[in-house]
Amino acid sequence: MLQEAQEVVGGIGGADIVTAAKYIGAGLCMGIGAIGPAIGEGIAAGHALDGMARQPEMQGVLLRTMVLGQAISETTGIYSLLIAIVLLFVV
Amino acid sequence: MGAIYEQLLGLLEHLGQKRIAVVHLLGADIRFDSTAMIMSWVVIALLILLALWLRRGLRQPVEEKPNRTQAALDGLIDLLRGQLSSNFASGRLATMMFPFVSTLFLYVLLANWLGVVPYLTSPTQDLNVTFGLALLVFVLSHVLAVRFKGVRRHLKGFLEPFGWMLPLNLVGEIAKPLSHAFRLFGNVLSGTFLVTVIMVKFVPIGLPPVLNIVFGMFFGAIQAFVFAILAVAYINVAVEE
Repeated sequence: MLQEAQEVVGGIGGADIVTAAKYIGAGLCMGIGAIGPAIGEGIAAGHALDGMARQPEMQGVLLRTMVLGQAISETTGIYSLLIAIVLLFVV
Repeated sequence: MGAIYEQLLGLLEHLGQKRIAVVHLLGADIRFDSTAMIMSWVVIALLILLALWLRRGLRQPVEEKPNRTQAALDGLIDLLRGQLSSNFASGRLATMMFPFVSTLFLYVLLANWLGVVPYLTSPTQDLNVTFGLALLVFVLSHVLAVRFKGVRRHLKGFLEPFGWMLPLNLVGEIAKPLSHAFRLFGNVLSGTFLVTVIMVKFVPIGLPPVLNIVFGMFFGAIQAFVFAILAVAYINVAVEE
């Protein structure tokens, strides 16, 4: 049993560890990186909805500003997506 | 299980593959990404043909009541003017920049929608294309700022609010075109990734067209609008006092 385990461990080369670390890193990067933009966009949408409920005639302006703000807060999510792509295909 | 992952990885690598054309000119190799270039030409040709075709409907005397083409185009222009160029600080800037901003919006919109058509790829899922567009906006905003405010006052703007904040302002200025380009590129590329992976690996029939409409057309339209309105915002910030 112990000998088998030692053989398996001995068979894992440095390249395998690098590959595994790449996948784990990409998964963590996307998973953690998506939390911030999701919360931020939710807050933006919620407050825009508050404003629309209070002043329905402002809907057009509020929608436009909300989309712009969400696009900007999405930037960090896009950065983490890029880093995940770089980890998977370039590194 | 491992075979599936290998196949998936091969698929994703194929998605990112490029057909590079090399041109020998003056002893140097100049490399072109032929896929993105040809797809850009397709978008440009579509826009020109659409414009020529729609213009035929406009040839009529002024005193007659507008026909359907005229009414539809009036609606489109009103929409673009109200949603995009009405965000400029001054009316003069809005009139001046309206053609540029609307062209940017229509080009990115059509480029995003091109990815929905089978055998065609969006030129905007290539970083070079989006970076070119972002650099265009960047250079234009600074040229306009110099023209409206003069070189001295424009350069002095980097020392606001304090002189020691110059490095921070410079980094912020460089981050603008970077995030502008990466946002469009990342959104279009991730949509294509998702649809392709689901189509090839999980549900080959039924679901992919629906996903294409959501990720290709709906998000494509939103991202085109965001790209154009960010261009408006960047030009506005550079030009204003």
